[in-house]
Amino acid sequence: MSKRSILHMFDPMPNNSPFDINMALDAGFDVLMPYSNVKLENIQNLTQDAIFSRSPSGIKKTGIFIGGRDIGLAIDMLQATQPAMVPPFEISVFADPSGAYTTAAALVACVEKALRDVHGKALSDCKALVFGGTGPVGIATGIIASLQGADTVLVDHLSAETANDAAKQYNRRFNANMSGAVARTDADKIALLADADIVFCTAKAGIRVLSAAVLAQTRQLKVAGDVNAVPPAGIEGISANDMAIPMLHAAQSPKAVGVGALAVGNVKYQLQHELLKSMLESDKPVVIDFREAFGKARGLV
Amino acid sequence: MEKPFILHMLTTAKNLSPFDVNMAMDAGWIQAVPYINVEPSEVRGLVQDAIFSRSPKGLKRTAIFIGGRETKQAMDMLKLAKNSMFPPFEVSVFADPSGAFTTAAGMVAAVEKELADKFGTTLEGKNILALGGTGPVGQAAAVIAAQAGAHVRIVGRQLDKAQRTAELCSEEFGDGKIAITAGADADKAEYMQTADIVFATGAAGIELLGADLIAAAPQLKVVADVNAVPPAGIAGVDAFDNGKPLAGSTSGAVAIGALAIGNIKYQAQSRLLKRMLECDKPLFLHFEHAFEVAREFIKSSN
Repeated sequence: MSKRSILHMFDPMPNNSPFDINMALDAGFDVLMPYSNVKLENIQNLTQDAIFSRSPSGIKKTGIFIGGRDIGLAIDMLQATQPAMVPPFEISVFADPSGAYTTAAALVACVEKALRDVHGKALSDCKALVFGGTGPVGIATGIIASLQGADTVLVDHLSAETANDAAKQYNRRFNANMSGAVARTDADKIALLADADIVFCTAKAGIRVLSAAVLAQTRQLKVAGDVNAVPPAGIEGISANDMAIPMLHAAQSPKAVGVGALAVGNVKYQLQHELLKSMLESDKPVVIDFREAFGKARGLV
Repeated sequence: MEKPFILHMLTTAKNLSPFDVNMAMDAGWIQAVPYINVEPSEVRGLVQDAIFSRSPKGLKRTAIFIGGRETKQAMDMLKLAKNSMFPPFEVSVFADPSGAFTTAAGMVAAVEKELADKFGTTLEGKNILALGGTGPVGQAAAVIAAQAGAHVRIVGRQLDKAQRTAELCSEEFGDGKIAITAGADADKAEYMQTADIVFATGAAGIELLGADLIAAAPQLKVVADVNAVPPAGIAGVDAFDNGKPLAGSTSGAVAIGALAIGNIKYQAQSRLLKRMLECDKPLFLHFEHAFEVAREFIKSSN
């Protein structure tokens, strides 16, 4: 009997996410094993237990998935697995806390494509605002955009300090170059949008972040992407399935286009599926965080 | 359709060991279900839920694995599980807390093989020092070796703890049929004068037996060290050693390292997991059975 594939799913939360479970089974893993309430200091032992009990042929059919809600912790955990590997006992590891890495990678890849197709521009030519910028998807989105050269601002809806802290912390970790800002009111948003080319909307589901009145004041908006699939949309006028559809409310921004949550979601879904499958199919162990995810997402759009 | 093989995996810890999960899957169990943070008092309920939901025919394809960290607790849970069943509603149960039972079995079986190959003798009547022997691997190894006829002394830094462990091993795990003694680490030099065998089962990174005591041991035959991370628990033992002459021994002793032990441990655990798949009557497996299959493996690979 050939060995079955096993995915060990390490999660700092009390439970694994059913989203991740469904995705992993659909990608073709035979056996899923959940590990909950996992702490960073448990990772070394868990990883070694996972690698030393299978032969080198079985090792290729063994992987680790890291979930949770905290993108910094997930990266720490991903990194902690690496020194625990002892060649040839090495296995693939994929971190995607709350799906934030793949969602962010898909969002930036979709926006980048619209920017190129409609405006002939690259991310490095643009200033980008990330609303909901201090949540897991927002931070990952900001880092990816910043690493691509966009002048990136993480926007928090309550506190400039929170936004600045997040920008500073993640700049240091990932060599990014983000700044922070606060936008409590429509007036704050209009001021921030005055010289912005791109908007990423990664706020909580069901919250209208940019209304038609705010959009009407923009002058140089080029692409806006929204990951909120629960009505009302995060950006007024963008429908969930929009992929580079003109934004009627942003009448003063020439050729502004919107990308909706389902358009992003489709890419995200495919992306997570492909990345999980690559763990099973790759001959060499793969290590996947949002940077690898973005590379793959670009290929998909 | 035949019912799928289900292994219910109980642990007192907050997670299973991925090691045990891989082993169970590779042995042929189809579904492994984790039960974490299990209290001994919950064992009865869990076992009865497992047995009353399948027909006797389905129960042959159902079993329970007991993990955790502690020898006594795992043995208590094994007994509790056994006592919670009623014929014909019975399933096999296998206890191997932290892999300690199969590791201990691997170590003692490897030592027995070296005694036979290099010295033409057996464990019967040999003096064994179990250094760092108060932990799970040390306890199980002491009991297995004593049941094979050796005189075992558990040596720890605190004499009273070593004494309590020795008593637990003799009375509880050995049913009062064996007599394991205790000693203090400070008296090691004296014990080494009569030691034939040394087990090192202490925490990683601590040297339990130095080169000077090895050189001064007049009848030392085999040393075994379960520690894979340098520094070795016994000076001069490498994780890859498998019957290699021990550096500095004046009595011709040989060494067994962690990887040689690990290989037999792997085989023993795999065989016990498979036995539960194939058995007609429910089995209740612990260190004794682990030693049985470890010996079987060594015999078959000779």
